[in-house]
Amino acid sequence: MIYKCKNCGGNVVYHPDKKMMYCPHCDGTDSEEEVKSSVVTECASCGAPMELSSYTSACKCEHCGSYTIVEERVGGEFAPHLIMPFKISREGAVKLLEKEFQNRFFTPATFLSAATLEGMEGIYVPFFLYDYLATFDYAGTGTKVRSWRSGNTEYVETSYFRVERNMDIDFDKIPVDASINMDDQKMDLLEPFDGKALEAFQKKYMSGFQAERYSEGLMELEPRAQEKARRDSEELLRESLSGYTTLRADRKHLNLQRQTANYALLPVWVYYYNYHGQRYTYYINGQSGKILGKTPISKGKMFAYGGGLWAFLFTMMLLVKMILEVL
Amino acid sequence: MKRFLKRFKICLLILGVLAAFYFILTGIHSLTGSMRNGERQNTECTTKERVFDQADVLSDEEEEKLRKLIAKREKQTGCDIVLVTLDESLRDYAYERQDYAATEKYVMIYADDFYDEHLFGYDKPKGNGVLFLDNLYREDDGYAYSWFCTTGKAEEKYTNAMIDHLLEKSYRWSKISPYHGYKACINQFYHDMNGFGLISINFSVPILLAVSLVMAVLFVVTNTGSEAGGKTTSANTYVKGGKVKMNHREDRFIRKNVVQHRIQTNSGGGGRSGGGGHHVSSGGVSHGGGGHRH
Repeated sequence: MIYKCKNCGGNVVYHPDKKMMYCPHCDGTDSEEEVKSSVVTECASCGAPMELSSYTSACKCEHCGSYTIVEERVGGEFAPHLIMPFKISREGAVKLLEKEFQNRFFTPATFLSAATLEGMEGIYVPFFLYDYLATFDYAGTGTKVRSWRSGNTEYVETSYFRVERNMDIDFDKIPVDASINMDDQKMDLLEPFDGKALEAFQKKYMSGFQAERYSEGLMELEPRAQEKARRDSEELLRESLSGYTTLRADRKHLNLQRQTANYALLPVWVYYYNYHGQRYTYYINGQSGKILGKTPISKGKMFAYGGGLWAFLFTMMLLVKMILEVL
Repeated sequence: MKRFLKRFKICLLILGVLAAFYFILTGIHSLTGSMRNGERQNTECTTKERVFDQADVLSDEEEEKLRKLIAKREKQTGCDIVLVTLDESLRDYAYERQDYAATEKYVMIYADDFYDEHLFGYDKPKGNGVLFLDNLYREDDGYAYSWFCTTGKAEEKYTNAMIDHLLEKSYRWSKISPYHGYKACINQFYHDMNGFGLISINFSVPILLAVSLVMAVLFVVTNTGSEAGGKTTSANTYVKGGKVKMNHREDRFIRKNVVQHRIQTNSGGGGRSGGGGHHVSSGGVSHGGGGHRH
């Protein structure tokens, strides 16, 4: 299906800056109406055939540039419970990339040029969000050591304590990406996504973006969520045990109980930049604006700056040496 | 290109300031040098020659250039400047004058005597001046020795470190040609006498090239490796309210023990030893100086 403008028939998309549906053709707002396509693999706007990968749930038509939403992949068992609408617009994402990389010394001139930015896409990535109630029970012996000097004698005092902790940790929406196309490590690094920005799922937020349905199941991914909860619980326990020089546990037990799990679509901008055979990938959290990616390197600039600096440092040291010699 | 030049603007500015500072300093030396020192007072000196190239390492033209340079620098420093090259063993010479002399002191004995015998000195006979003796002959120990002999106000001014610096610099330049070595020695003497006596760290040009290269490479490496986006979640990012609910917390003191031990202290320390290069020559004149071997 596709969102068409009632006024001009153009493709209406969700505009992150305006926070509403917007028709870029006639500047109309909230003028959308749903138009269904008869064949899933055809663009609902121009009828051109579309090559959909197995998991694509929203994509852009290569011919007319309209954004089509594959309803079967956002309904039934694939219906997301929640969606986090894009907060950062395309222009905003470009500005963030510019701020991060444009002033770096070796960034090539073509980085973020209009031509390469064509390929930048906003993608709703499928995530499962797990809620856990964790109970951590700990008992052990802790020591605190202090030492002082008196005359020629050093005293070392070791105090022993009985240490016990029992705490409940209420984990809310631990995200795990459910797309086999996305690098797990990168998606983890894009966190945190602000849970408060989540809304009940609405298709219209997908218009103007690409999207995928989950390609890994809730149960299949649960071990990753449990691992995150366990790691955070351990850290929280450690924080509550600070101040001891040594600790020996007699009892340490963590109980994780899953409360609920939600299927959600979270916003990510992806930008591929090819430079002299090297492919750089940038991810931008579409909600917080956090950027992941390596500095792009222009070898010409690298040699120019490296050589320039070398010449400068050498001349400076030579001058300092000459000045010291005549001082 | 514009951005490139903009970024190096500050560097060029630094270089400009340093270069200006250097030229101002040398200008001041030249000005104060010629103002402070009057005409040469010594009328008893036995010779007008300053370049005694007995080893014949300099061409006539080079000798003439050095004579001119010396004449200028003498006025600017108020010191006689004498250059002697030799290519002969000074062992017998030294032993004729002293019962015992260490190999490295042969050149000192010869240089002192040479200075005293010719009654060099800008202000008076055996007065202010320096003599640079370069003996190419390899003594029994396989080394060739050189000596920088200082007298009068030059002796007062020069520390061992300054002499070392001067000889080291002269030796480095002599790798191009002996003439360049002697020229560097005379010029450094001029700067030392008019300056504050600060010595430069003895880094040769290849070392400076290497050090600056390493720094430039470090700059490149640090600017290529940088990656955006580290971990920005913490343990309580996904905890409701950001806090855990502590059901039970106990930190109960059980017991303590105290261990004591004596601290061993060491007393005493090292001392400084060393000495100056000051001595009195056979002619009874106080000289300073220092030598190098190669």
